[in-house]
Amino acid sequence: MKNKTRLPHLYLALLMIIMYLPIVVVIIYSFNVSKQSTIWGGWTINWYKEVFRDSSLIEALKNSLVLGLLSCSIAGLIGTIGAVGMVKATYKSKGLVEYISTLPIMIPEIILGMVFMVFFSLLRLPFGMITLVIGHASFCIPYVFMMVKARLVGIDKSYIEAAKDLGATEVRAFLDITLPLISPAIVSGMLLAFAMSLDDVVISIFVTGAKTNTLPIKIYTQLKTGITPKINALSTLMLLGTLILVILSNVIGKRKRV
Amino acid sequence: MKIKKIIAAFLVIVLSTSMMVGCSGEKKKEVNLYTWADYVPADVIEGFEKETGIKVNYSNFETNEEMLAKLENSKGGDYDLVLASDYIIKIAGEEGLLSELDKSKIPNYSNIDSIYQGFFYDSENKYTVPYAPGIPLIVYNPEEVTCEITGYESLWDPSLADSVGIMDTERVINGIALKTLGESFNTEDLDAIQKAGDKLLELAPNIRILSQDQTQDYLVSGEISVAFLFTSQVALALQANPNLKVVYPKEGLGFGVDALFIPSKAPNSENAQAFLNYILKGEVGAKISTQTYYLCPNKASYEFLPEEFQKSLVISAEDIPEGEFIQDVSAEATQLHNKIYTEFKAKLN
Repeated sequence: MKNKTRLPHLYLALLMIIMYLPIVVVIIYSFNVSKQSTIWGGWTINWYKEVFRDSSLIEALKNSLVLGLLSCSIAGLIGTIGAVGMVKATYKSKGLVEYISTLPIMIPEIILGMVFMVFFSLLRLPFGMITLVIGHASFCIPYVFMMVKARLVGIDKSYIEAAKDLGATEVRAFLDITLPLISPAIVSGMLLAFAMSLDDVVISIFVTGAKTNTLPIKIYTQLKTGITPKINALSTLMLLGTLILVILSNVIGKRKRV
Repeated sequence: MKIKKIIAAFLVIVLSTSMMVGCSGEKKKEVNLYTWADYVPADVIEGFEKETGIKVNYSNFETNEEMLAKLENSKGGDYDLVLASDYIIKIAGEEGLLSELDKSKIPNYSNIDSIYQGFFYDSENKYTVPYAPGIPLIVYNPEEVTCEITGYESLWDPSLADSVGIMDTERVINGIALKTLGESFNTEDLDAIQKAGDKLLELAPNIRILSQDQTQDYLVSGEISVAFLFTSQVALALQANPNLKVVYPKEGLGFGVDALFIPSKAPNSENAQAFLNYILKGEVGAKISTQTYYLCPNKASYEFLPEEFQKSLVISAEDIPEGEFIQDVSAEATQLHNKIYTEFKAKLN
């Protein structure tokens, strides 16, 4: 029964408007002359100049990006290996172990944050990038774990067995057969982990040190003094950066296929 | 083989980024400042770094309670300078987390206007330097408002139905209800508090906006015609619309101060004293007040304040004694405050 009306298109358009309108408003208001975000004053690019002049903002951005990269890489590694191991395992408490490994994203962040803070003090770890990475990697691992595991279950075991029949070792079979097959899941898991790490405020506040500030902390704590369109400008720049990356990866991907 | 190359490249990236992290071996001259983001203006920080060569590490917290939790955890270490609100400084003092200021290292200490000192959290002026004193005030748009506004009681006027904005701060809002009944902010009389709670429920129909931040935006954009604002919001509102009128409530003013202190185990307390000395300079104090929009506690800065700020940032000594701080009360009183505020918020919806 084919759909002859324009209704699906209308529905899609409406959905996209609802999803993207807030982002469009943020971008437009980054050019706002007025400091307050509720009144339109006129066009200006001053806020963009302010972003580059504000060295603490750039440093916080740098910290967040480095932190995101490190934690999603660690999460990618541990999550993948964990998923591969879990799929092969057959012992009875397997279900329980899986449940425990997804706990970090189910526990409320503030509890996790406080627990990390006390735990790291007990270990006398210096608060800063190290504790931030450990904290972030902990809640990033479940994302990668779940995505890779879901993908692994769908892979036909006969590929691995065929490779082994032809003489490949366990490691070789993993590297040459399994890994390429699950790489889309690993990449999307890592991207999700990166986004979650970049976004995190609560845990970061508790485990950061006196010398490391991350971007979400800086923006969130600016609420007391008032959020200026400088943040809109920064968000627009980050959006632009992401867009460029996505376009680049698409172009590279198309080239490879040819 | 390609996979191996990708893995190798990936590991190199991870290793190199993690090496950049551990790279700060030498002992730099630095000071760790801990407060809300942008509360200390960037030009003040840059000026200090240029003049003394000491790097400022500016980390942030969102609430006073969060700051206290971290300070308790580090037992007064890690941070050199903390800028937080009066009531939390009192609690920190009781827990022994403050260190005495060495006034010989802060010659500009005498610039502080004495009307901002000797308050409950530091009665002997041994631990703190006031940074941002403020009085919450009522601001209204005379074109939209028909009734006369003289104090907190005016907010209850029926002509203001659905057009008042207030801040979402429990003790302050319960406090203004108490004031209209002639009580103190800090009374521990449970009957009085309950009466204030009942009175608050009558205020609910007039409240359109209950917000912690940016309340002044609603006033300026016209969504509400009367607002009860913190000092910085008052100044921002007046800047955006000079026709707004400010009212010092006749029932009695609330008062609050954000002040700087040095924690007990600060790693760089010498540099912290140097920073305090720097911000107590006349010109720097003026830079701070014109950007934070709070009252100016620095006598030496008054001559540097631009014309338009002289009125809003300098208040006379007569206003302060009438101001009352909101302080901690007994456990039962605190619980009752919680209860009536929750009921008030529920009635708003």
